[in-house]
Amino acid sequence: MNTLHIEQEPAHLEIERLTVAYGRRRVLDDISFRVEYGERVVLVGPNGAGKSTLFKALVGLVKPQSGTIRIHGLPPGAHTDCVAYVPQREDVDWRFPVTVADVVMMGRFGRLGWLRRPTRADHAAVERGMELMGVAHLAHRPIGELSGGQQQRVFLARALAQEPHILLLDEPFTGVDAATQEATLSVLDTLSDQKATIILSTHDLSLAAVRFERVLLINRRLIGDGSPAQVLSRGLLTEAFGGQVLTLPDGSVLVDQCACHQSEPESIAVK
Amino acid sequence: MNTLWSWIVAPLAYGFMQRGMLAAVLVGILCAIVGCYVVLRSMAFLGDALAHAVLPGVAIAYLMGANLLMGALVAAVVVALLISLFSRKGTIKEDTAIGIVFAAALALGVALISSVRTYAVDLTHIMFGNVLGVSPTDLWLIAGIGAAVLLTILAFYRQFLVIAFDPVLAATQRLPVERLRILLLLLIALTIVVSLQTVGVGLVAAMLVTPGTTAYLLTRRLPTMMMVAALIGAVASISGLYLSYYVNIASGAAVVLVATALFTIVFLFAPERGVVWRRE
Repeated sequence: MNTLHIEQEPAHLEIERLTVAYGRRRVLDDISFRVEYGERVVLVGPNGAGKSTLFKALVGLVKPQSGTIRIHGLPPGAHTDCVAYVPQREDVDWRFPVTVADVVMMGRFGRLGWLRRPTRADHAAVERGMELMGVAHLAHRPIGELSGGQQQRVFLARALAQEPHILLLDEPFTGVDAATQEATLSVLDTLSDQKATIILSTHDLSLAAVRFERVLLINRRLIGDGSPAQVLSRGLLTEAFGGQVLTLPDGSVLVDQCACHQSEPESIAVK
Repeated sequence: MNTLWSWIVAPLAYGFMQRGMLAAVLVGILCAIVGCYVVLRSMAFLGDALAHAVLPGVAIAYLMGANLLMGALVAAVVVALLISLFSRKGTIKEDTAIGIVFAAALALGVALISSVRTYAVDLTHIMFGNVLGVSPTDLWLIAGIGAAVLLTILAFYRQFLVIAFDPVLAATQRLPVERLRILLLLLIALTIVVSLQTVGVGLVAAMLVTPGTTAYLLTRRLPTMMMVAALIGAVASISGLYLSYYVNIASGAAVVLVATALFTIVFLFAPERGVVWRRE
């Protein structure tokens, strides 16, 4: 019951010499990498490093100045449903009169096209998504009444209902409770088993080190790409975070980063 | 019982009153449903601006002896497109663009109408409506345009829902966000045009916003919000016309006042969300 069906062959992702600029300011500069299907990648870097911009470029929300993005060998615009994107939560009007089930059903709209009505399969996918994220009991509640963690779960449930081949999660753990974080991570494990490709951005370097096999470290440029041990080294972290990196007497590295939308700074230690 | 019945039926003995009643109910329902999007996307100012901006169209049609509704229709479409063009370029803010276009159109309208001798009377009718002057042709036009607008809202329900609630999802699903925004703007413009006869330029914004906001306080899903808004719009229109008939006040104003009274009651006493029940 708690499985997601992936109907087509899962997609791979190729990014070649991607450069994105807002006006004259370069946000992403000459970034190239390739993600095979079923891979699980974590994206880290300081604030303003261009993590969100990279996601937006991948779903076609911002236009690259140069470089190419290929999903399944096709440009991002060629797919309406195989990439699911869970943006940061501030982008949504939480006072809108929709229920949890309504929001999760929106994940199916790309598949439904313009006029087709939701079928039994669509309702089943919505049901599965809500159950996997533990929000099925909230199905008929208005989204404005939910807590931050519950809202995050609803948005993940919507992404799951979309039955994507590639799932992009932008800072899913910012401002959510530990239970939601654990639920999210265990769903990601399930998805990985089914060969869905996952790219997730986070501030939490220790989580990146423990729960992911591949780390992309960026600060406008791609600074590191490899296993946590290779990428989360003192040299590369200093290159990415600059003066925010402290080396402790025992040889461990501390990165002090202020999340721009949170008032209190977080400190994250990496061995 | 009999007196109540005759009280209700008496005004309907006149043909112009029957047509006025029908037109008012149609417009009340149409404004309320389209108004739900105006409320949810915070476009109240835009609605008001569009309403004033149709004035030059009406004036030109009047001067040329053409159908006033057709004149208003052309003007509304032109202004809706102008506003979306100005704000899309991003050089000026949308509400500034609206402010400029709307004041200019209003000035042009007043200038044109002031060249006519019966200036005061005609301007009053356009500004505040003249529901008792609805001709059979007008009624058909209202019904036809109203049906077209409602069918479009129904057909693109899902798309409008997504662009209003989550524009990012809309963009990732490759919806033509900009074109849908213009379509919604045009639907609002059409709604305003058919409302001119009943509530007029000055008060149509209230008919767009008040029933929708009242329904918002009472419901939790968009489809029910639209149905409740439609009901409130219809009730306000009918009671407003009776009020206008028996107390002898302007019909458009009476309709808006009834809608505002309903809103005030709901704002104070709505279950859970009413101000009276809320403790802070």
